[in-house]
Amino acid sequence: MTLQRTKAQKVKRFLGNNTVTILFLVICAFGIPLSGYSANYLASEVVVRIARNSFLIVSLLIPILAGMGLNFGMTLGAMAGQIGLIFISDWGIVGIPGMLLAMIISTPISVALGIWCGKILNMAKGREMVTSYIIGFFMNGIYQLVVLYGMGVIIPIRSNALVLPRGYGIRNTVNLIGIRKSLDNLMTIRVFGIPIPLSTLIVIALLCIFILWFKKTKLGQDMRAVGQDMEVARAAGIKVEHTRIVSIVISTVFAGYGMIIYLQNIGTLNTYNSHMQIGMFSVAALLVGGATVSHAKVRNVFLGVILFHLMFIVSPMAGKNLIGQAQLGEYFRVFVSYGVITVSLVLYEVRKKHDRGIAGQILAQEQEVKA
Amino acid sequence: MKIPFNRMMMMRLAAILLVLVLAVVLFFIGKQHTVLLDNKAVTVNGEEIKAMKMVEVTVNKLPSLEFVPRDRDKVDVTRQKHTITISYTDENWEEILITRKFTVPLMEEMVIISIPTLAANPDAPQSLWLEKYELPAYAVQAAPADEAIVTDDLAGLISL
Repeated sequence: MTLQRTKAQKVKRFLGNNTVTILFLVICAFGIPLSGYSANYLASEVVVRIARNSFLIVSLLIPILAGMGLNFGMTLGAMAGQIGLIFISDWGIVGIPGMLLAMIISTPISVALGIWCGKILNMAKGREMVTSYIIGFFMNGIYQLVVLYGMGVIIPIRSNALVLPRGYGIRNTVNLIGIRKSLDNLMTIRVFGIPIPLSTLIVIALLCIFILWFKKTKLGQDMRAVGQDMEVARAAGIKVEHTRIVSIVISTVFAGYGMIIYLQNIGTLNTYNSHMQIGMFSVAALLVGGATVSHAKVRNVFLGVILFHLMFIVSPMAGKNLIGQAQLGEYFRVFVSYGVITVSLVLYEVRKKHDRGIAGQILAQEQEVKA
Repeated sequence: MKIPFNRMMMMRLAAILLVLVLAVVLFFIGKQHTVLLDNKAVTVNGEEIKAMKMVEVTVNKLPSLEFVPRDRDKVDVTRQKHTITISYTDENWEEILITRKFTVPLMEEMVIISIPTLAANPDAPQSLWLEKYELPAYAVQAAPADEAIVTDDLAGLISL
């Protein structure tokens, strides 16, 4: 039995479910004319950002399926990807082989970190998001220790272009000229003068197909069951803890690959910063696309990337044209990123309470009918 | 903890081995080397070989480079085995074309090829005209000042 709703209630519910997306549509609708950018420029920038960020955001989908919320611990995978890139830069491996080798190097690191993170998250059931967020900060400290003090001393790094003048530690920026746009430029087509990095988009499409296929596998179904109710899943014979760990491992490994794809597009690695914001911006983009803590689809990824990055592109120029300061736009987009996550989490909780209320109303209706 | 050595374990080990082999192959085919091409007068085995007046050099299928005396240029190549083609006109106005294969040692970042030596001894072993090149000390010496490490998390925004 379902609760009968009026048209106004349906509209209200639709608006409530898509508040963040609608908010971003409004921001973009105001921002685009204010920025003065041409449609062609905006389209080409959005295409670049879809290719750059989508892989990272798709890596967030599996933990959501397993009911572990938004995996802020994806920064662990990003760090693993960066370590792979530091090694291939030192060894002078370039192009697609360089990217693949960086992915191979990052995989065992991501798996180890994913298992460790998953085990901790199993100890903090119900508080996975905040726990994974803090794990990211903790691991950042370890990463800095390894990269700043271990590399060049314990871990051999030969290249003077990478090592700090003092003889150990990696420089602030690592030039990734050897792999810069090697995947993007592998296959590029032009549509209405806009360059489309077809090869990167094919890789992202393959990952999306993998995710869709994975959801239908035994493990995918187990994850869905665990995500819906852990106790019921356990009673059905599913190894709940193991399934949750596997979901985090898959997410971390994909985040590592995503970071490599992201950085090959940028062409420069900010050794101590690149990974820091990735988790937050990926989560924010996914939420902007209409995903929630418990429910996300592939389409949310692309809608989110388009809207979130459209705001990123237009806000500095819109700020400059409106107030005369581009810096304001920079602050605006940081503020909006944090704001989006906050609003989404609050709305999620409000909606959960509201849904519980509706379930109560349905139960009351059923009891009335029986009586 | 006892690790079961069953079919699944063997498949997993085989997969890991395959990935390791792939990593080694990628290392070999992706390793970049810089080949310096040098057209300067050199002394080989006590005999002076003059620089060539005008010579065209092609490495693999890269765009060809033209050299006059005292010229030096570079090409970046991946993998170890390469082909060099030298084309020039001798004093009898005859077109001479020399094609040689050469191998760059795996861990060598930079090698130098002496074009006049190769042209004078086209059948000589590659060690005669190709040697390891090390950058002069002033080019590799680290800057004295220490670099400040930026760990400000908002600095990452620059790349977005």
